[in-house]
Amino acid sequence: MNQASAAMHEANALCARFERIVKQRANGDRLRVEQPRTLSAVCMIEIGGVAALLHIERGAIVNCTRELALLTEWDFAVRGSCAAWRALWQPLPPPGWHDLFALAKRGEMRFEGRLHPFMAHLQYFKDLLALPRSGSERSAPQ
Amino acid sequence: MTIEIEPIVGRYTRVRIQDDWCRVYFEEAGRGIPLLCLHTAGADSRQFRHLMCDEAITAQFRVIAFDMPWHGKSYPPIGWEQREYRLTTALYVDTILAVCRALDLERPVAMGCSIGGRIVLQLAHAHGTAFRALIGLESADFQQPWYDTDWLDRADVHGGRMCAALVSGLIAPHSPPQHRHETLWQYMQGGPGVFKGDLYFYRVDADLRGTLGGIDTDRCPLYLLTGEYDFSCTPEDTQRTASTIAGAKVTIMQEVGHFPMSENPEKFRTYLLPVLEEIRGREERAK
Repeated sequence: MNQASAAMHEANALCARFERIVKQRANGDRLRVEQPRTLSAVCMIEIGGVAALLHIERGAIVNCTRELALLTEWDFAVRGSCAAWRALWQPLPPPGWHDLFALAKRGEMRFEGRLHPFMAHLQYFKDLLALPRSGSERSAPQ
Repeated sequence: MTIEIEPIVGRYTRVRIQDDWCRVYFEEAGRGIPLLCLHTAGADSRQFRHLMCDEAITAQFRVIAFDMPWHGKSYPPIGWEQREYRLTTALYVDTILAVCRALDLERPVAMGCSIGGRIVLQLAHAHGTAFRALIGLESADFQQPWYDTDWLDRADVHGGRMCAALVSGLIAPHSPPQHRHETLWQYMQGGPGVFKGDLYFYRVDADLRGTLGGIDTDRCPLYLLTGEYDFSCTPEDTQRTASTIAGAKVTIMQEVGHFPMSENPEKFRTYLLPVLEEIRGREERAK
């Protein structure tokens, strides 16, 4: 496997992990993720070069898919490198890799589009996007 | 039934700050060397409650923390509704010195965090003789902004939730949930535009790079302690600042973020106690 296909393989694996955990937990785990009753938005989450689309209606995630049609519309996008998501989802992420804005400051994460729904429900999205955090020991990102 | 009452006592004082009379709330506990504590932007003196209940500190230090005007239980000045709050370097220094005078503090130790960490650098530069030591937590002469502060004060976004969510990432993942959420609660309770007004000082008015000459750390020791998880004021920001100040002592705190005293008080005291002991020992030797 060459470097490019290995990177795409990892991006697909991370994105599948995100999709799986969101479908399992995002609507039911009220202890960890506040349900913002007034939030309706379409959000693109990009992991490496792979995107997932979240449809949120009145605080509930009604669809999470990696199958994006050409010209799919969304309200805002959160785009991060594989290294960013891999580090963020460690149980104890290393300094500077532990928060969406820490990652943005180091150039590993970007926020694009109509940011109002993202910023107005910022803690919800921080918690939602950290849901896959589990498992391995703390280690420096590669 | 045992009644548990903390040793913290809170009172109010009237303080003239520039053109305004301000009713300022302060809390204190302990006896000894006055230790004046300066809270972070958009928060209040509750951040220091753990220090005030720590007998290892209050046995030697009179710990005092006040709410800046506009914050906590200190009201804004009369006529606040006619103006936009903007903290400047001059207003911040005048506020601290006015509170020292009002409380009759003789050469206190001052310890500030974040904006409080920035202002202790200015105090060291311009008012070093008025303090027996200065402690900057999450302190640097400048740091790169990392978001647009207009998000902090707009009618279509809940300001409390916004402020808390933004700073939540500055807390280390190791910090106990109880203390994490208590720290965030303080940010949820700030007045509209107050956090943003504090950050005017931080972002616009107080770029202290190249302005801190003449700091005499023999006369007034300067300690800078920064958490490794603080990506706003990074350890590198603090170390760069210290490299321009002869005698400044730097400690990088492991598994701590931007709010050491409130996000993880148990961890923080392991770093603070040696500093306070050094200050106390210096006072003993001077007697």
